[in-house]
Amino acid sequence: MLWKLSLTGIKGRLKDYIVLFSGLVMASAIFYMFESMASNEAFLKSNSIISMVVFIFRFGSVLLGIITFAYILYANSFLMAMRQKDYAMFMMLGAKGRKIAQMIFIETFLVGIAATAVGSLLGIGLASGVNTLLVNQLNLQISHYAAFNLQALVVTLAFFSILFLIAAIFNARAIAKKSILALLRETSTPAQVKQRPFMLFLQTVLGICSLAVGYYMMSDLMKFQLVGIGVALVTIILGTYLVFRSVIITILSLLKRTDAIALKRLNNFTLSQLSFRIRDYTQMLSMVAMLFALALGALTVGLGFKNEIPIMAKSVAPYDLYLNNAQNASDEKVAALKPTLDVTYSLKETDDTLYYNKDQFNKNNLLSTSTNQMSIDVTYNKLSGDQLAKDITAQDQLRSYLLPEQRGKEIQVVDQTAFDTINAPESSLRMVQVKDFQASYDALHELAQTNQETNTTETADTNFSQRVFVYDTYNGLFSGFEFMGFFLGIAFLTMLASCLMFKILSGANSDIQRYTMLKKIGTRTSLLKGSIRKEIGVLFLVPGILGMIHVLFGLQMFTTLMIDPYHDLWLPFGIFIALYAIYYVVTIWLYTNIVLRPNKK
Amino acid sequence: MEKIIQASELTKVYGKANEKQTEALKGISFDIEKGEFIGIMGASGSGKSTLLNILSTLDHPTKGTIRINNSDITKLKGDALADFRSREIGFIFQDFNLLENLTASENIAVPLSLQGVKPKIIQQRIKRVAERLSITHILDNYPAAISGGQKQRVAAARALITEPTILFADEPTGALDSKSAKDLLNMMDDLNTNDQVSILLVTHDPLSASYCQRILFIKDGKIHQEVKREDQSREEFYRKILVILGNLEQ
Repeated sequence: MLWKLSLTGIKGRLKDYIVLFSGLVMASAIFYMFESMASNEAFLKSNSIISMVVFIFRFGSVLLGIITFAYILYANSFLMAMRQKDYAMFMMLGAKGRKIAQMIFIETFLVGIAATAVGSLLGIGLASGVNTLLVNQLNLQISHYAAFNLQALVVTLAFFSILFLIAAIFNARAIAKKSILALLRETSTPAQVKQRPFMLFLQTVLGICSLAVGYYMMSDLMKFQLVGIGVALVTIILGTYLVFRSVIITILSLLKRTDAIALKRLNNFTLSQLSFRIRDYTQMLSMVAMLFALALGALTVGLGFKNEIPIMAKSVAPYDLYLNNAQNASDEKVAALKPTLDVTYSLKETDDTLYYNKDQFNKNNLLSTSTNQMSIDVTYNKLSGDQLAKDITAQDQLRSYLLPEQRGKEIQVVDQTAFDTINAPESSLRMVQVKDFQASYDALHELAQTNQETNTTETADTNFSQRVFVYDTYNGLFSGFEFMGFFLGIAFLTMLASCLMFKILSGANSDIQRYTMLKKIGTRTSLLKGSIRKEIGVLFLVPGILGMIHVLFGLQMFTTLMIDPYHDLWLPFGIFIALYAIYYVVTIWLYTNIVLRPNKK
Repeated sequence: MEKIIQASELTKVYGKANEKQTEALKGISFDIEKGEFIGIMGASGSGKSTLLNILSTLDHPTKGTIRINNSDITKLKGDALADFRSREIGFIFQDFNLLENLTASENIAVPLSLQGVKPKIIQQRIKRVAERLSITHILDNYPAAISGGQKQRVAAARALITEPTILFADEPTGALDSKSAKDLLNMMDDLNTNDQVSILLVTHDPLSASYCQRILFIKDGKIHQEVKREDQSREEFYRKILVILGNLEQ
């Protein structure tokens, strides 16, 4: 009988249950996807240049575990907020506390395990989907990745079973311990904590100072090394926490004290809701801000590496294409590239010497890579024929365009008349630059391939002057990074945004009365909706902004690894803000539906 | 006398056309004059809550019209309805319905803020109404920190600050101890006599009802009986109410 009642209760709140269930499904799906990578060492090792990556993934896995744990706690409090009153009512009707505790235990555990099972299946599907998508869309090269991974599946199931077991015990204890009246009446009455202004001020200062120290450490990581990372981690977490605890509260109470703002429309109500929420949510919001920073950071760095690839290729290889023995190459194909630069240098080859025509180099200088070029706009040194004639180091630049068997020979750069008198077979070296390397990639690749095939001793492995091959090499190296960055970024974002969503939604039930009351005394529905949008907006915005600031400073850490980590920031930020905004809109929609349910007539 | 509320032939049917229907109100008509203190009594399920919800524009009648201050509220919708409510009607409820995350004075300020009144004027009006209701000393307290009687005074201050056409009181003494209840009723009587505040009190408590000048007894969705206090003392009126209630039960 009780089970029947309990099921009726679930039916009545089917929509809320669907929200809860899909949230849990997503959590386990993401966890599975991550594990399918983290527990696959072959994949990690074949896709990263540094062996550290396996460690980084282990670390990420622990981090994801922690956030999943927090996530389950919030999702669980949402479940309890829904069910508590029903169960208390059963107890009032005479059901035994132990029986009820047993029921809530089973309900929590079943919902959790069912969600995990569905989530793992979804995870397998998503993993292969995401894999193909990323590989196709981003031209990534991923190897050794399998969507189905038994170890990952076992880890996911075990981890979630333990989590839900804990949650179920927790819920059962909560029901068994509290009195029926406490359960029935439990609505979070905002405790009005009087904070001493001095303490608030102290916390504000301390919070801002902590952040400053952390940011400074990150900006000069070369100096502080590993200690810097440790200190920054501690100070930034502390600073974030204090910012929510004091700085935001201070701003809110200043706003409340300003009559012109507070006494306008519903502002006072919105501000009060917010300061109550922020006090209540301090830990939660700090966590969201930190995760936001990690997720956005991962995405930004991942995409950053993607941007680096062509730049690095450019800085290593000045020409988009070079052709040995160009007299044999197809002129039409080169012309089809519409080159912006197309130079042919002649050379005569004897058994031990290579002769170049100085005048040709004076007319069209040879481009060479410069050593200090950490910038997006790659510039090249120009080597004239005169320089090449005198400077043996400069000649090395020329040497890199030679076929392997030519490299050991001496190079002589002589003037036109001397060149003409040399009696040796003549060939030519053709250098080409095009307007857009990536747009012409396929055609360039074909020509480079042909060049390699016609000059059989040339191999891609030994060739770091042919830009398409350099590009391929870097792309292979960094794709793994990019994939991880992308994946971690999106996974963390999904988790943190749903955490925030559940936390807000679990408070919605106690807000119903407030909104109903405001409606009764004649508040326009549009104003109420506006108040909800503002309140939830701030709860989303503040950790988001703080997280972004963390990332902007955090990218400093990558200045040594990347040419310009700040290049094209709008792309990762844009993707992130768009996804985050979707969560914001969904939360508002769900919340509004809970608190402003149309009157039953 | 000027009529502030004119209700005619109010009918309310619950349930859709193809479902089982219940008729909560079966054609109720009455007027309320300016400055009147009128009571509505009836047992649970008599339709008095439905009547109050319709009068206070929270619900629509199935048939019939209500004019408050000469505007037909059955024709109002959405924002116009909300605005009308905030301008013309003051509410006090059994469970106070104060916003517990706002201080007393902030609670009182809400209706005026909604109307876009200037902050300076809001502060003046709060001061005035707080003095009138003797709650000046608790203005900065949160609802959790004040007594039930004080909460109901704060609720009354919030209801009166807009100087509404009429004050609707829905079982305002229901959650109060007997002394606080008497204090509140005396205060309402005082507001009615000296400030000419029109009050409509919905109650099933005969003591509360005895403060009214006129009482409508509702039974089965109709006005069963109407009595006036006229020259009777409050005690005499109280006893008369008890007798009527006794007969009503039969």
